[in-house]
Amino acid sequence: MKYVFHFDVVLDHWPELLDGAWLTIRLSAMAMVLGLAIAVVCAYARTAGPRFVRWLIAAYIEIIRNTPFLVQIFLIYFSLPGLGIRLDANEAALAAMVANLGAYATEIVRAGIDAVPQGQIEAARALGLKRLYIFRFVVLFPALKMVFPALASQFILLMLGSSVVSAISAVELTAVTNSLQSTTFRSFEFYFAATALYLVMALGFRASLAAIYWLVFLRGRAT
Amino acid sequence: MHKAWKLLVTTVAFLASAMLAMQPAIAEGTFDRILREKKLRVAIDVANPPFGILDKDGQPDGSDVATARALAKDLGVEVEFVQVPSTGRIPALLSGRADVTIASISITADRAKAVMFANPNGALSITIFGPQSVNIKTPADLVGKRIGITRATLEEATVPKMAPPGTNIVWFDDLTSTTQALLSGQVDAVAMTLFAQNKVAEANPDKQIETKLLVTTAFYGPIVRHDEFELRQWINTWLFLNARNGVLAAIYKKHTGVDLPPLPTF
Repeated sequence: MKYVFHFDVVLDHWPELLDGAWLTIRLSAMAMVLGLAIAVVCAYARTAGPRFVRWLIAAYIEIIRNTPFLVQIFLIYFSLPGLGIRLDANEAALAAMVANLGAYATEIVRAGIDAVPQGQIEAARALGLKRLYIFRFVVLFPALKMVFPALASQFILLMLGSSVVSAISAVELTAVTNSLQSTTFRSFEFYFAATALYLVMALGFRASLAAIYWLVFLRGRAT
Repeated sequence: MHKAWKLLVTTVAFLASAMLAMQPAIAEGTFDRILREKKLRVAIDVANPPFGILDKDGQPDGSDVATARALAKDLGVEVEFVQVPSTGRIPALLSGRADVTIASISITADRAKAVMFANPNGALSITIFGPQSVNIKTPADLVGKRIGITRATLEEATVPKMAPPGTNIVWFDDLTSTTQALLSGQVDAVAMTLFAQNKVAEANPDKQIETKLLVTTAFYGPIVRHDEFELRQWINTWLFLNARNGVLAAIYKKHTGVDLPPLPTF
């Protein structure tokens, strides 16, 4: 069996691949911001909220972390219309990604919060600082700094996991790749190209996250 | 294509084939290997009723599967099914995971650039269908409507060409998702084979599904890799014999419920 590679076909369709990669980047970046916001709120409520709220958040985390991402996407896209909530493919994909990341990141942030020494919080209380002020500067900030590498890993996993949203017709990189390989029959070439693009995006996200870490946690701070 | 590219591609192709020719293990053709191992690897799509489905026990069934079994039996070899989604039907062949794909692949000039078609073993029609409440009577009515199609199918090759600009075409990876999109109202109508339409309509009587437009009628046949002439010739011989003895017609009638139209050859 022999196979002749035709990478010129990939070059012909390069703009479409880049469009797909751009949607992947936008979906992932938005999901990272919203997912982290959810994680911080949930982690706070889970450590300090009323019992009912804590129970509710625990249920959310366990449901999301113990079911497949693809099934969550199908549920949002195919089942919610039955309840009168119609999200288009991109909205459904984003909603699923935010919900998914939110659950995983809540546990990561909570681990960071738990790791903040109790004495540090007591000291802040002794100084008479307000509760939200203590949470923000004495608990959350050091907690996020501690768990940032774990969060960054989760963000990258989310970006790579976004490839399955092609199943509900969101036109991100994997969807574009599948369409192109099915119309040109150059599957090896297009999957190679997609692999390279995902690798570049993952490295790009990693570098951006490292830059954010430096800007937020290291710059001008002697720790 | 630039001359430099052509030169590069030709050089790479020449080197690759030279390297392969030097390896004695690969010198054996696919057809000889099938006879020696007594095993034919057939790529099938089991999410494509009535051509390929899983029966109650999870075993492959359908007209493609029955055809593959009959073909392997007459070849005197065992059949090993390689289950692929519709997008994997040609890649499974090109990557060497399967020797032949029998998955109701409609014969198109584009596909023939990537693989070799044997003669047709059946025919299918592509329709656009949806609930009665959706108003599509002419192709012009497609403007502004959301039409679901499945990647790597005949729908994908034909619907975008006939749909006027302004049609909102939505792509899914498999027929199951496309069907779900129709049933959940995420799309107004979908394009599939007439057989698939009948299955969907039968399973969901409350949706009052009806044919909106006939897109095309096409013949489908088994595919093999380029250069696999021995294998293709044997399949063609088998198709010729079984078109005459009525086996193909019986398989088609049993699974689709309609008579097999006369099959042209090429």
